[in-house]
Amino acid sequence: MPSPLYIALRFINHRKKAILLSLAGVILGVAFFICTQAQTQGFERFYIRTVLGTTGAIVVQDRFQPQFTGVLQTNETTVVSVSNPRRRKYQDGITNPEEVMRVIREFSNVAACAPVLEANTTIETDFRNAVFVLQGIDLDAELAATDLRGYMVGGDLGDFRQKASGLLLGAILAGDLHAQVGDKVTLTGPAGERRDFEVCGIFRTGDNLIDEKRGYIHLRAAQGLFDKPSEVSFIVVRLRNPDRAPALAAHLERLLQHRARSWQEREKGNLQIFRAIRLSAAITVSTIIVLAGFGIFNILTLMVLEKVREIAILRSMGFRRADISAIFLWQGLLIAGIGSAAGCGLGALLTWGVSRIPIRMRGFFATDHFIVYWSWHHYLAAIAIAFTGIFLASWFPARRAARLAPVAILRGSGQ
Amino acid sequence: MSAALSCQGVERYLGEFESRVHVLRGVSLEVQAGSVHAIVGPSGCGKSTLLYVLGLLDVCDAGRLAIGGEPVSGLADDALSRKRNELIGFVFQFHFLLHEFTAQENVMIPMRRLGRLDPRAMRDRAAALLDAVGLGDKLQRPAHHLSGGEQQRVAIARALANDPRVLLADEPTGNLDTENSARVFDLLTGLVKREGKALLLATHNPQIARASDFIHEMKDGLFVRSAPPAA
Repeated sequence: MPSPLYIALRFINHRKKAILLSLAGVILGVAFFICTQAQTQGFERFYIRTVLGTTGAIVVQDRFQPQFTGVLQTNETTVVSVSNPRRRKYQDGITNPEEVMRVIREFSNVAACAPVLEANTTIETDFRNAVFVLQGIDLDAELAATDLRGYMVGGDLGDFRQKASGLLLGAILAGDLHAQVGDKVTLTGPAGERRDFEVCGIFRTGDNLIDEKRGYIHLRAAQGLFDKPSEVSFIVVRLRNPDRAPALAAHLERLLQHRARSWQEREKGNLQIFRAIRLSAAITVSTIIVLAGFGIFNILTLMVLEKVREIAILRSMGFRRADISAIFLWQGLLIAGIGSAAGCGLGALLTWGVSRIPIRMRGFFATDHFIVYWSWHHYLAAIAIAFTGIFLASWFPARRAARLAPVAILRGSGQ
Repeated sequence: MSAALSCQGVERYLGEFESRVHVLRGVSLEVQAGSVHAIVGPSGCGKSTLLYVLGLLDVCDAGRLAIGGEPVSGLADDALSRKRNELIGFVFQFHFLLHEFTAQENVMIPMRRLGRLDPRAMRDRAAALLDAVGLGDKLQRPAHHLSGGEQQRVAIARALANDPRVLLADEPTGNLDTENSARVFDLLTGLVKREGKALLLATHNPQIARASDFIHEMKDGLFVRSAPPAA
């Protein structure tokens, strides 16, 4: 064992009471940091999972209006280019969905894609009428591209598959309409086309915006109801690696000449809120570690002042300035090490405990308990903050100890 | 044979600007192995400063130093620290033991820094040294549970931990009663004679000075008389 570490251990042992308080601060700071990060990122991840499960990683939608650039050659050496300076315009929907999906499926990152035809529709039940967003889906493709199966809370998807006039309703919408599985309802398309459907299932995504406004029928039925026999509104794309959605969306946009939006782009505002909350929690909790660092700074500074004679005698015994500095840095590192290890353990325990707390949340997503995300990054960040803070707290006293002039101390002691 | 410790023309200034004092004014000295040299003189004459310079704790402004014939002037701080660890043992008026350690552990601290011995050999050597200073039965006694005389004897054992060539003692008995003073001095001189070390001590105690092999009288930063004690 290096002699500075040997001495540091003994010094710490003789300052147990004072050091335990700061050590407790480090342990709690590390533990709370881990726990709060696990919670905030847990909710963020769960929200992202809900987004990916309902609307996919990429949505390919409207087609760009072609832009033409005219080229006039006035003579052999002069070429005049005439371009349209207007901003890019979109044409609603996708007129050749099969062709577009064939191209999309060529990408290895694409796990599945599903066509959707969407329009505002009026629904009439025995209780009341309402306008909602009706989506025509290819059930098998939809089940592959979204988490619809997991969201079903009533009825039967098999029944829906069998019935050409089957209808799935969001749970809140169904509640508002007093509609139940098996009920007959009438839908009126945007062009006034009226058709009868049977409620075959109720789904709940947890996102109120969806659950109170969305319903599904078969794509073919929607094309008839909306009088759009061959086109779709958009294509939902599920990716094997959703993190790479922005790059693929940009590539698809150039390739297909259709607007393609990644989930990161669509949810930019909400994701920024989550990140701001995470950062805010990290900063707030880190102040506990900073306070513990101040405590350690005080303890070590006092120790340096108390130990000036011992430092002088150690120097007279051949200890270098670096050795003296190391005695105090080791104390900081030992506190950081023990604090981080215990803090990580406590943080894991707290995270586990929090994940067991029942909480009913509906609106943004649906959950019945606290959601946590286990990531070694949280532990690494907490350890890095603890070590950085405590290293700085011990570096200044250590530097002061190393700079002490032994002769001046010995002279003073003799007087 | 070269002297265990020697210096020529050592000068040292302390303080700055108008408070700058010429403390050592060209001191020269040779201490042979196995001999005890005492420096006497009034307070502030430069005794301690000379010991600190010779012990490589302080640097001189002019002059040359050598330990065992090897020049040690002008070395970097780390190199000076290593020389102190290997070649020099200090005994001060105040023992300065580390209270967090036992008597044996205090003696082992310089050995740990040197790193030549394994832990068992260090423990054995520390026990032997403490036994030699009459504290063989108090190895595990915490430093702060020892009397003043015992603590000073632990400090002597600690100064001998790395078997140094040179022992420097600054008023080693200045804080002890007559009985303990005589005991500590006898211990030091006995070790020096037996193990062939060089001892240079600064003292106000005329009895100790007279018991030395050589007395250097110092005044205003200069040796005014260097001679064996009068018979």
